[in-house]
Amino acid sequence: MIQTLAFYLFAALVIASAVMVIMARNPVHSVLWLILAFFNAAGLMVLVGAEFIAALLLIVYVGAVAVLFLFVVMMLDIDFAELRAGFVKNFPLGIAIALVLAAELIFGIGAYQAGQLELGVASGVAAPALDASNTASIGAVLYRDYVFLFEAAGIILLVAMVGAIVLTHRRTENARGQQDISRQVRRNPDEATVMKQPEVGRGVDL
Amino acid sequence: MIGIEHYIVVSAILFVLGVLGIFLNRKNIIVILMAIELILLSVNLQLVAFSAFLGDLVGQVFAMFVLTVAAGEAAVGLAILVIYFRGRGTIAVDDVDRLKG
Amino acid sequence: MDYATSFYFTATEIGLSLCGLALLLVAGWQGNKSARMVTIISVAALFGAAIFSIGLFDRATGEVAGRAFGDLYRADAFGSFAKVLIYVAAAAVLIVTPRFFERIDAYRAEYPVLMLFNAVGMGMMVSATDLMTLYIGLEMSSLSSYVLASFLRNDERSSEAGLKYFVLGALASGIILYGVSLVYGFTGSTNYAGIRAAFEASFSTGALFGVVFVLAGLAFKISAVPFHMWTPDVYEGAPTPVTAFFASAPKVAAMGMLLRMAMDPFGGEADAWRQIVIFAALASIVVGALGAIGQQNLKRLLAYSSINNVGFIMIGLAAATPGGVAGALTYLAIYVAMTIGSFTALLMLRAPDGTNLETFADISGLSTKRPALAWSLLALMFSLAGIPPLFGFWGKFVVFQAAVQADLVALAAIGIAASVIGAFYYLKFIKVMFFDEPTREVEATSPVSHWVVLGICVAIMSPLGYLLTVPLGEWTAQAAASFVAAM
Repeated sequence: MIQTLAFYLFAALVIASAVMVIMARNPVHSVLWLILAFFNAAGLMVLVGAEFIAALLLIVYVGAVAVLFLFVVMMLDIDFAELRAGFVKNFPLGIAIALVLAAELIFGIGAYQAGQLELGVASGVAAPALDASNTASIGAVLYRDYVFLFEAAGIILLVAMVGAIVLTHRRTENARGQQDISRQVRRNPDEATVMKQPEVGRGVDL
Repeated sequence: MIGIEHYIVVSAILFVLGVLGIFLNRKNIIVILMAIELILLSVNLQLVAFSAFLGDLVGQVFAMFVLTVAAGEAAVGLAILVIYFRGRGTIAVDDVDRLKG
Repeated sequence: MDYATSFYFTATEIGLSLCGLALLLVAGWQGNKSARMVTIISVAALFGAAIFSIGLFDRATGEVAGRAFGDLYRADAFGSFAKVLIYVAAAAVLIVTPRFFERIDAYRAEYPVLMLFNAVGMGMMVSATDLMTLYIGLEMSSLSSYVLASFLRNDERSSEAGLKYFVLGALASGIILYGVSLVYGFTGSTNYAGIRAAFEASFSTGALFGVVFVLAGLAFKISAVPFHMWTPDVYEGAPTPVTAFFASAPKVAAMGMLLRMAMDPFGGEADAWRQIVIFAALASIVVGALGAIGQQNLKRLLAYSSINNVGFIMIGLAAATPGGVAGALTYLAIYVAMTIGSFTALLMLRAPDGTNLETFADISGLSTKRPALAWSLLALMFSLAGIPPLFGFWGKFVVFQAAVQADLVALAAIGIAASVIGAFYYLKFIKVMFFDEPTREVEATSPVSHWVVLGICVAIMSPLGYLLTVPLGEWTAQAAASFVAAM
């Protein structure tokens, strides 16, 4: 009973916040709604016993991706009103297409027949161990069968990092407020200070 | 436990909302990127749900890879967005559309 | 699972990754001074990987059949054939790349490194026998492609091309993933063999939806109609060497992935997807041929030409027979040589002040100033149009033959008619290059490296190419036989 209630709560909230993500006028609000959507999706995952992925979703998405989004939204000085143009014009057609697509998916897949949907049968090789936690079971499968892909996923992250740096990094010469340590260290008193002995009333000639 | 059909419906709706978001906010790249994240979220939810109902952890491992890639994708996408903004001073895609005709 | 064999079969991926990591360190320490050296080492590594794949071609048969890491990856004859094409294409593009960027002082040592990682991803794509491997390989290749497309970060066209490519590519990945998750749920497996077995037991509507989503997403990646809209924009906006790359190696990878997926896990349900493929093939041929008309920019023209050629390759897939797969692979091999040759010729066209010439107006009267280049370009264009006796004709002949043998006579007939319509357009090249008055100054010399690449491509396209028909036929037949065990 509690589970059913929790499911409907999370499901309603995740859908409502997804709607707000794409409808919000201000992208900052969109990001915040996206975070709420992730929290509720994580709740849905916990309900089926996938705690590890749920935690990962929060750590990776809310902790990294959403913050990255917020950072970019706030860093770029964007005229949000301009970006809304066309939104109203596309709206009726968009909604119609979306409704058709949703209906097709739900009816096509047969998800309306509660309790009659026939899933495939898993091979059982990667069945969760009864005496181990979700995290431990995933770890066993991941490092036993999917080492190759695990390493490859590491390369993907490297590619993303190299790509982002190559694209955005600018070597800023002499930018304001940048510290050049070697110059600081090279400095000696002879260059930095000058002795002057001005006559009274004449001022210093620099 | 609640049936798998409910999960399929929720992720189908999320998927459709993601596609709709791309369609509606055709000028606003930031929201398009978020809509893509919604699509990936729907996929993750569906993979995890199937994984739980099949009693097979492959789906959860898959979801983990999707998460990893999504993080990388967001980084690259936002990087491209930043250089686009630096060059144009706006992130609206259609406004001049140098690449048409 | 025997790690030694697994490492042996995935040696090209592992080797290229390690090479990429080492070169990244070099690039980090030496900065852009090392760009040339990093490029040369990357080209050598890619050729080495290609040679190693040739070595695997015969060895990966029998009980093991190139299986690595359980059944995540298969280095069979099909995979090896596609990988040789991919690595050679990537290496050829890298050879002609540096000069383009060095002129505007925008070449960076990370470029060849990203190409190497891209090649690793593409190799995984064509060898994947698990949806997870497929996804990881696809994303590794796509992510580096997005970066390469916007590599000229101060050029608005380049960053806009990168942005468009990114948004549509990410959407396509999302669609593929949604399909993959449905297939996983309704078959209980992400492994190709498992999916095939489950489909044979029962094929539910849910699974059909999954297959359709996956195929639609893959059509995006190979830029087949109706998912082709991004191609002309991205091809025009991206820097020319990157466009040359997009039109060659990733096409082979995406097509190889589609062929394997359609023939292996979805092979038992050929009737479910054949009509989609036939429609996409015909629409691509027609849209590609008609779209090319009226284009003034040669890069856009080549984009439509690539859409058109993808249509012909898909005719081979529509046949859904080993002969069809072999035909598609033959076509792919010829297509790669034609595309790289055309783009190399385009890269050699430069005004004396260094600007790139890429429109019809720029090449008018080219025959008087650069006769060799004009004739090469003409041969390549005619070959793309499939005019005999050039070798491009052979590719079309092979796929049509496969279609006729699979009782798809109507498809073959419409395809031939459309290719004749398309061929007319290439006549414009004769008019512009040989009969129009020269308007622009063209740089008189080109580097030897460009001539070598162009020369090899033109030699393959010339009637001499027909010497290759026998070995090419044998290799593609053997590659296509990789699926027969499963069929």
